[in-house]
Amino acid sequence: MATDDLPGLVRRAQRGDTMAMSELLARLTPYVTRVCGPIALADGADAAQETLISVFRNLRSLQDPAACYGWVRSIAVRESVRLAKRSARSTPMDEFDHLPSRADVEQAADIRDVLARLTPEHRAVIVLRDLEGLEENQAAELLALPVGTVKSRLHRARDNFRKAWSA
Amino acid sequence: MSTSWPVAEFDPVRRLRVLAAGIAGARVAEQVIHAPFEQVWAIVSDLEHELGTFEADMRQVTVRRVGDGVEAYARGRLGLRARFDVDLGPGWCWMQSRFLMIGVAAAPVPEGTLVAATGGLRVPGRAALIPIGVGTTNRRALRRLAARIARPA
Repeated sequence: MATDDLPGLVRRAQRGDTMAMSELLARLTPYVTRVCGPIALADGADAAQETLISVFRNLRSLQDPAACYGWVRSIAVRESVRLAKRSARSTPMDEFDHLPSRADVEQAADIRDVLARLTPEHRAVIVLRDLEGLEENQAAELLALPVGTVKSRLHRARDNFRKAWSA
Repeated sequence: MSTSWPVAEFDPVRRLRVLAAGIAGARVAEQVIHAPFEQVWAIVSDLEHELGTFEADMRQVTVRRVGDGVEAYARGRLGLRARFDVDLGPGWCWMQSRFLMIGVAAAPVPEGTLVAATGGLRVPGRAALIPIGVGTTNRRALRRLAARIARPA
């Protein structure tokens, strides 16, 4: 199969070439599973599937193929938060106001343990900043939250979080 | 990135559901076949010898490598010939010609192997199927595949 640059591959897929759609799907899947996993946790597989279904149903609406990954990321975060909130498996704490204590976080066995103690929205903030490297204003816009909320809460969460996995 | 961040699982059957969702008129049939994944996929991926045993209209299939890709040539029951582009990997087979699409995916499950099939008559040049008998055809292909796997080679 011909290897294509991403914008060219997206355009071929948008024109209805299902071989290009198959290749694009193979390229996007690892990225989507990395974004959905830490936010949706046990619902990660369903979140990844719903994300990619939304991507391929709406592929023709993507006007700038070079912006594909940013577009996919916003869908992945939205779907992950939606499915994690819907699931009864998570035991969310109050939104952003009751972060796990430093002791709680540092005693956590792994990142999944720490993430599971946070709300889906909070996990999304952590992923967007620490995994995706977005600025606070970008994360706030993507999550439809005030920048101040994201900024003030993130520092404490991230410090604790980093200690949890570097310990 | 730390390797300990959770990563969502995503198997080829989910991949097929996604690709079918992007194709107008496509339906996905799924069936658990009580056989190990390796046994199931050895048959599905042997396109030249086995495709015709479960895809009813495929006869005289020949496969050849072209660069990094794979092409297949098949003759239908009525003698019509088709050239397919093929994307073939573990648990994944996607084939497209001008007038046909065929997709098969498989993933191990505790009871054996979950196999999914989609495809049908393609609206030429488009990601769309002519919505006639699509679900029936794919369910029938999976029943044939299960029967093929159940009998000795």
